[in-house]
Amino acid sequence: MLTLSARFILGGAFVYASFDKILHPAAFAEAVYNYQILPDELINLTAIVLPCLELVLGIFLIINFWMPGTVVICNLLLITFIGALLFNMARGLNINCGCFSTTAVESSMNVLTVLRDTSFLAISGYLLYAIFFYKK
Amino acid sequence: MYIGLKIGKRAMAESISIQENNLKTGKVTYSQAVWQGGALLALSFLLALSINQLRPERLPLTGNWSIKDRLTTPDGDRLDISFEEAKKLFMEQSALFIDTRSMDEYEKGHIPGAHSLSWHDVDRRFIEVTEDISPDTLIITYCEGAACELSCDLALFLLDMGFSNVRVLLDGWTEWNKGRLPVEKGNDVS
Repeated sequence: MLTLSARFILGGAFVYASFDKILHPAAFAEAVYNYQILPDELINLTAIVLPCLELVLGIFLIINFWMPGTVVICNLLLITFIGALLFNMARGLNINCGCFSTTAVESSMNVLTVLRDTSFLAISGYLLYAIFFYKK
Repeated sequence: MYIGLKIGKRAMAESISIQENNLKTGKVTYSQAVWQGGALLALSFLLALSINQLRPERLPLTGNWSIKDRLTTPDGDRLDISFEEAKKLFMEQSALFIDTRSMDEYEKGHIPGAHSLSWHDVDRRFIEVTEDISPDTLIITYCEGAACELSCDLALFLLDMGFSNVRVLLDGWTEWNKGRLPVEKGNDVS
């Protein structure tokens, strides 16, 4: 039951997060650019591929498909997101998160943004434990 | 004694069997994770490229994101202005500054005389803020942070709206504070 809830919460979050980015790739590319982490050549490619990766991960989590691979990628992705947020907060960059929306309506990233992503990582970590270690 | 040994032997055999089974399961799971992860990434990649191909306004796989290009108008004019130039114009009172950060941030401190027009509120407050501004007024937009996308976005928007003399002070609020220039608080102007 706990695993089922974790899959639906995380899967739902990934699917929801992907929609606006898939609909507005140029705006999402702007958000990726603002993080000032990736080289210019990779910004558009990331803005095109990342939302679809989130969508596929979300759907696979919900339908319980390819779970070992899905959960590993989920954890790696969330660790990358949190790392990028902390890196930019540490260097004082005042930018929109671009996490769930590409519009400027979403507030700038802050500690709450990191806490939100950390809570997703906790859920994802639990799924990793449930799949790779709990069965043993 | 005999029964005890038998139970112990059986428990040990079961334990070994479980361990072997776990090891086997574990190996399968780890290898599954590798090929599934790879397949998932490949699937996402193909899906993303297909969706992008089908879009009416397709995003090119590589874009030009240099500051120079972002702050150059289609006519070839540069929008960015140096801090020293902005400071001079402020002292001469020959430019109007627009703060594109949030109202909260504006109220905590802004360039004296600057109007507040957060990019977040531009749809709602554009007319209210700009109705008294002549289209040929020299406007300098600023925000805070190295990326400073809000001031660039607003500058391009103002140009689209017919303001002909718009410039961007990159990372303006940070530069203003570093330069120890006067600061105003509250929202009397906006």
